[in-house]
Amino acid sequence: MRPLTQAALAGLAFAVLAPTAQAGAEPLEVVASFSIIGDFAGAVGGDRIRLTTLVGPNGDAHVYEPRPADAAATARARVVLVNGLRFEGFLDRLIEASGTTATVVEVSKGAHILPANGKADDHHADEDKAEEHHHDGSGDDDGHAHAGHDHGAYDPHAWQSVDNAERYIRNIAEAFCLTDRDGCAAYQENAAAYIEQLEELDAEIKSAIAGLAKDRRTIITSHDAFGYFEHEYGLHFLAPKGLSTEADASAADIAALIRQVREERAAAIFVENITNPRLVEQISAETGLKPGGALYSDALSDQDGPAATYLDMMRHNLTTITSAIAGS
Amino acid sequence: MTVRFHRPMILACAIALSGYPACAEQIEAWRVFVADHSEPVVRAFDLREGKEVDRFALAGAARLHRSQSGRVVYAVQRDANRVQMIGTGIALGDHGDHGDITIEAPALLDAILAGRKPVHLVERDGTVAAFFDDEGIARLVSEHAALEGTEEPRDIASSAPHHGVAIPFGVHLLVTRPHPSDPGALPVGLDLFGPDGAPTGDHAPCPDLHGEAQSGNLVAVACATGLLVVAPGPERPDIRHLPYATGLPEGKTTKLVGGKGLRYFLGNFAARTLVLIDPTQAEESFRPVELPTRVVDFATHPAKPRFALAFTEDGYLHRIDVIAGQIDRSVRLTAPYSMDGHWSDPRPRIAVAGPLIVVSDPLAGHLHVVDTETFEPTGAIAVEGEPFSLVAVGGAGETH
Ligand SMILES: [Zn+2]
Ligand SMILES: [Zn+2]
Repeated sequence: MRPLTQAALAGLAFAVLAPTAQAGAEPLEVVASFSIIGDFAGAVGGDRIRLTTLVGPNGDAHVYEPRPADAAATARARVVLVNGLRFEGFLDRLIEASGTTATVVEVSKGAHILPANGKADDHHADEDKAEEHHHDGSGDDDGHAHAGHDHGAYDPHAWQSVDNAERYIRNIAEAFCLTDRDGCAAYQENAAAYIEQLEELDAEIKSAIAGLAKDRRTIITSHDAFGYFEHEYGLHFLAPKGLSTEADASAADIAALIRQVREERAAAIFVENITNPRLVEQISAETGLKPGGALYSDALSDQDGPAATYLDMMRHNLTTITSAIAGS
Repeated sequence: MTVRFHRPMILACAIALSGYPACAEQIEAWRVFVADHSEPVVRAFDLREGKEVDRFALAGAARLHRSQSGRVVYAVQRDANRVQMIGTGIALGDHGDHGDITIEAPALLDAILAGRKPVHLVERDGTVAAFFDDEGIARLVSEHAALEGTEEPRDIASSAPHHGVAIPFGVHLLVTRPHPSDPGALPVGLDLFGPDGAPTGDHAPCPDLHGEAQSGNLVAVACATGLLVVAPGPERPDIRHLPYATGLPEGKTTKLVGGKGLRYFLGNFAARTLVLIDPTQAEESFRPVELPTRVVDFATHPAKPRFALAFTEDGYLHRIDVIAGQIDRSVRLTAPYSMDGHWSDPRPRIAVAGPLIVVSDPLAGHLHVVDTETFEPTGAIAVEGEPFSLVAVGGAGETH
């Protein structure tokens, strides 16, 4: 008994001497499904969390296949942060395989969610309304949702609106607070500081887009990842692939897009960091639109790249788009 | 006997948005196809009923493969110089939020791949490639054409007869390169063939190449030195050599299986050691799993990705937790099957049918059925002759 008592006393003494010290306290184990949520989690959690990001820089979460190590990290985690809206097709299998008891948090919950057929004009502040809208506006005629792996009912790329990113941050702070009450003040403080930066970013994007000519706002990317950017900031995005990168674009899709590029006098075309550039190069060759660089849609760049954080990513995309349009 | 499923059949009714109830019957059906060790016959069993539903006379004794879709079983008859095909009668359609199932009688298809000494067969993305060792030629046909009987097989020739394999990879094909001087030796690497059927000139060395598997978008083949891992690239498949980790015991992989739901490979390595392989991990890409005795057969679990299975010569089936990297349950199923003796002697083989594991017991004339979760036998199905190579197809879905 004596060694145990001594150890317990030693621990107590330490706690008394250093009541706020992190040493000895295990960090909160957090899994983020992909790089953008990983960046948000790091901004909110700081060094109170130990973060594992499953789909890393330049990775494509639409088609990701989890590895045993991902399942092991998920099994260890106390909080698992995911985008939801069927963005992470691998999620259910991973959660089941890991047997995790973690809280799984869909960080897009409560954001302004667009239906999969996109480009709706009204906002939906909560999921119930979005659900209603989906059923009224784009309801299925055959009684089942057919919300397949490549076409969910909603557009999952909600982070492309900075306003939604704020909601992501609030949801992450709330999830951390519920699991680690001692850290709550720190999480709230980090979140508030980050949200200030988001608001600056949002204003920056709005004023930059406002400076663009109204008839030079149609641009081409490889998959429909920018519906929220379009909805929020007023550019028009066209893409040969749909909301997921999984299905290949058909020859008819590409032909229709090329027609549309000509009719709408598209101003610029971009490759994406997560997709094969070949399709965009083909459209570029057939339409004479020169590729204006790479946009970061569904993943950050690595540390050395131009989009290592969400803030950098949005600024990089903005300047890439505006300078390509200016040069067109 | 009747094999009990955990979940009973349910009649699912949903109130459709239009207001009337849409009823679709939710059905789960599994068929197990079992080849005899030495007789030219394949028997089809309904796993739920535990009854033989049909049997098919072939030209020779067969080893069975199933297509990824589960619609076709390929019966590779090494000594009868052909690959015959059986339509399983079960088709699953994926609609994302629900699946459809259609169930018909199984049937022997007209399509046939003929040639001298077929051994390795690989199906990927709806194309099957059988390699005919004594010709050094791969013959390819699409699953769709096999079912319809519409297409002549396409031949792709390697440079010489050898014990080889051909692996469809998108519009490309990977084919083994024979040993330059010894026709009896294992291949020395992989050559890439383009959509036109001609070699692209890309070659990846792989001494003593034997054993291939797929997991997700990856293909792996085993070499004396490590693995070749093939991933989709922007223009053509990207082939990378992954050397065995330095901490492993003496050994090499000659048989590989690939995970479903989790992306990993499982290979043999030494007599009592399997190896879990994650080719995308920087560290610990090879994790050895020790077995109590020598391994007879092993498999991944398509429905429960956390688990893989191994059968050992002491008659035990083991459940391997691929996340923890170790055996977590074991159950005795058969009398011992020694690995001494000829490699082709009749020994148990594993197939997985949803939540159930089926193990053939050729000497006792049984199929043992084990529930994955409880890891206890739920019954045994008596089979005439020596049940050996087996595959399971099926799933759950709505019948409209
Ligand atoms: Zn996307
Ligand atoms: Zn072989």
